[in-house]
Amino acid sequence: MPRRGHLGEFEHLVILALLRLGHRAYGVTVRREIARRVGREVSIGAIYATLERLESKGYVKSALGEATPERGGRSKRFFRITAKGMSALEETHRALARMTRGLALIRSFS
Amino acid sequence: MAPAPPVRPPRLASWLVGLFAAGERAASIEGDLLEEFSELVSRSGVGPARRWYWRQSVKTAAALAGCGFRAAPWSTLAVALAGYLLFAAAASLPERVTVAVLQAGWHDVTPYYTWRQAQNYLFWLNNGVWIGRLLLPLLVGCAVAAVAKGRELATTLALCAVNGVATGLEILLLSAGHAPEYPFFLPLLLVQFANSVLMVTGGVITREIRSIRPRRVARG
Repeated sequence: MPRRGHLGEFEHLVILALLRLGHRAYGVTVRREIARRVGREVSIGAIYATLERLESKGYVKSALGEATPERGGRSKRFFRITAKGMSALEETHRALARMTRGLALIRSFS
Repeated sequence: MAPAPPVRPPRLASWLVGLFAAGERAASIEGDLLEEFSELVSRSGVGPARRWYWRQSVKTAAALAGCGFRAAPWSTLAVALAGYLLFAAAASLPERVTVAVLQAGWHDVTPYYTWRQAQNYLFWLNNGVWIGRLLLPLLVGCAVAAVAKGRELATTLALCAVNGVATGLEILLLSAGHAPEYPFFLPLLLVQFANSVLMVTGGVITREIRSIRPRRVARG
């Protein structure tokens, strides 16, 4: 269980995807970004479940965008990271850096 | 030449996702699925796109069910437990109601039954009890889903899990008290499986009734 202020593994991936995508971050693009960069095929439901959890923690904010015909007239829901989310991301990275400092990770796993 | 009509995703799969999400959330998820489905249709064809849509819908429904449970685990579990206790307390209700109804309808002036009357009595006694036994888990599922507004399916699935655990305990107790070749485990498992299916059906009915009004509002 991640400690308060730290991100879980999938939360971490989703937040990094939001950071990379900027203002283009919504369900489809986040899913594709993770699939493209990590090679992990996840469902839209898993993305939304994580984004809503992050939103309830105050790490992410969402807003409805435009509706398009290829979406059957349904709106996109865009997500962006909040300042609190950025702090949590930085804290997670600091914790990872402390844990990995001095370890020759690439060599030990090869 | 008129353009080909747009290919629609499998309706049953869309309905499945709609059971676990409501309002704006459902619209965003369905829109995302439809957007990727349309792209897949033009890139890979209808068959692979439909298969992808089905896979995504099942995974999405499972993720949203888990999300619904994690959003309020204790209240979901409490409602599911209360539902199970209600179900257990009302277990003999179908027999009692059927007998009471038959007694009320068959109070003959003569103390004797004709052969035909006896046949009718037994027919309704037997079938009335079965109908009652089918209705009871359905109604408990409806009641549990009605209490758990917004998490209808997650809560009825939790109710099924509680029912499954209780069945497991019952089997353990029975096998401790009887010989290992005790022959009633399979019927017991089948009955409890049917009960679970009916409880979830009750949850689906409540969820569908609740979603009718927002759909009408959305259509204007």
